[in-house]
Amino acid sequence: MLAVLSVELRKLNRSLAPVLVLAGPGLVALLTFFIVLNGRRATPWDRLMEGVSGVWAVFLLPMSVTALTALVAQIEHGPRAWDHLRALPVPRWRFYAAKAICAVALVVIMTALTLLLGWASAAAAITLKPAVAPPAALDLSKLLLLNGKVVIAALLLIAIQLWTALRFSSFVPALALGIGGTFFSVMATRAKAGVFSPWQMPFNMFSPEAWRVDTALALALGGGLGAMALVAVVLHLARREVL
Amino acid sequence: MPAAIETEGLTRSFDAFLAVDGVSMTVPERAVYGFLGRNGAGKTTTLKMVLGLLRPTAGAVRIHGLDVARERIAAARKIGALLEAHGFYANLTGAQNLSLTATLLGVPATEVDRVLEVVEMRADAGRRVGGYSLGMRQRLGLARAMLGAPPVLVLDEPTNGLDPDGIADMRQFLKRLPERAGATVLLSSHLLGEIEQIASHVGVVSDGRLVLEGELSRLKAGLAPEILLRTDDDRRAAGLLAQHAPAPVATEAGLVVALRPGADPDQSAATLNRALVQAGLAVFAIGPRARSLEDIYRQVTVSDQRQPQIEAA
Repeated sequence: MLAVLSVELRKLNRSLAPVLVLAGPGLVALLTFFIVLNGRRATPWDRLMEGVSGVWAVFLLPMSVTALTALVAQIEHGPRAWDHLRALPVPRWRFYAAKAICAVALVVIMTALTLLLGWASAAAAITLKPAVAPPAALDLSKLLLLNGKVVIAALLLIAIQLWTALRFSSFVPALALGIGGTFFSVMATRAKAGVFSPWQMPFNMFSPEAWRVDTALALALGGGLGAMALVAVVLHLARREVL
Repeated sequence: MPAAIETEGLTRSFDAFLAVDGVSMTVPERAVYGFLGRNGAGKTTTLKMVLGLLRPTAGAVRIHGLDVARERIAAARKIGALLEAHGFYANLTGAQNLSLTATLLGVPATEVDRVLEVVEMRADAGRRVGGYSLGMRQRLGLARAMLGAPPVLVLDEPTNGLDPDGIADMRQFLKRLPERAGATVLLSSHLLGEIEQIASHVGVVSDGRLVLEGELSRLKAGLAPEILLRTDDDRRAAGLLAQHAPAPVATEAGLVVALRPGADPDQSAATLNRALVQAGLAVFAIGPRARSLEDIYRQVTVSDQRQPQIEAA
């Protein structure tokens, strides 16, 4: 499995994945910088960073997952490499598992980068405008716990997007699904049915309504829905024929 | 000779379309087996089942006795493949592409240099594959198929995109492969002339069915002999010869007279020559006509109503 993972990483390293990993968190950081700089009064670090994570979870995370899974899949679809890979004496599930692991790992890295760049851009704005300096210190463990839940809640979304991107050789179905899912989750954040929307589950972690958080957590964490979906994706893709 | 590849009643349908129909093929060890058929005849589907990429609707494939359906990984260890879709990563160099496959196969990195040397690609190995010509990609594909020195090579249209020099090099290379590396080569092509120069064995597939298989030299020897002749009046000659043999066929090269199986071509040529000269015709040339793979192909696919799209290169 390590050999397959290392090959996957080498391919990603030579692709536009590093640019994509920086793009989403970079946009959040840029937005944070101007929000803090234009602020009229000081905001506590906890609220500031919760805002950073919220912007990431509601829009940029699902969109980044859409782009990232499409990229991971197109690395093979583009040059029609599946026949070569699937003819090798390697269990086929490993190719798909490596892609799933890389996709999840990149989402973790992007979430961490969002926090890091968000904090750095806020600190830079505060340096330029000391009047908006937060009065209290940041509760890092609370922030990390919250973002950990966001990533776990995003597993189902990653599984669905990854399956669509790998199943169809064109990037259009995966892109349409990702854009559509994100659109509805942004436009209907308060809709009751939204609690079951995979694209909305990460943002549900920020809801003031406890039942939303609990339901999303019960599905994603307690039910292990996302992890099970990822396993199902890997098994299904490994078994199906690529015509 | 034991079989390197053996298929038994191999069948594959796509919904109502029967792409491969009960193909039972035997590729002997150390043979260069030319798998012939026009586009859409079922060659690639058969090769994909040999590689375990498609599941047969019925039948089985064995590689050195290993059932591909039950022991795919063990069977795949014995095969290197060059497929029509090369699957190279255009943003990586030739050497990097090979290195990825070498890692997946678990073979040492020195293998990459070895196979690059074999296909004479070392000078271009540091360039991105995106800038390669189709011929270079074919050679790189062949190098990748040879990583780990598998005993069986499955090559789908290996001369595609090669220039005349490249085709000649590839021909020599493939011809010597069984002797040099002890490998068995199964190659599909629609170029009869190329297969004729490379292959020791052939299999012809038509409409998904294997209509002919065997050692090429034996198949050629089994054909009824023919006499080719040129005269100063071919039309009169044709009328005259019809009394001695089945009706001659006019070709660009001259009149072709098909003899009965087992007939002695030299004696027949002498008889025909005598008859023509006695009738006052000037005979410019007369002699046995060499039989080709194309003759065999035409004979076995004659029942096919469609015009074959095969090229006699």
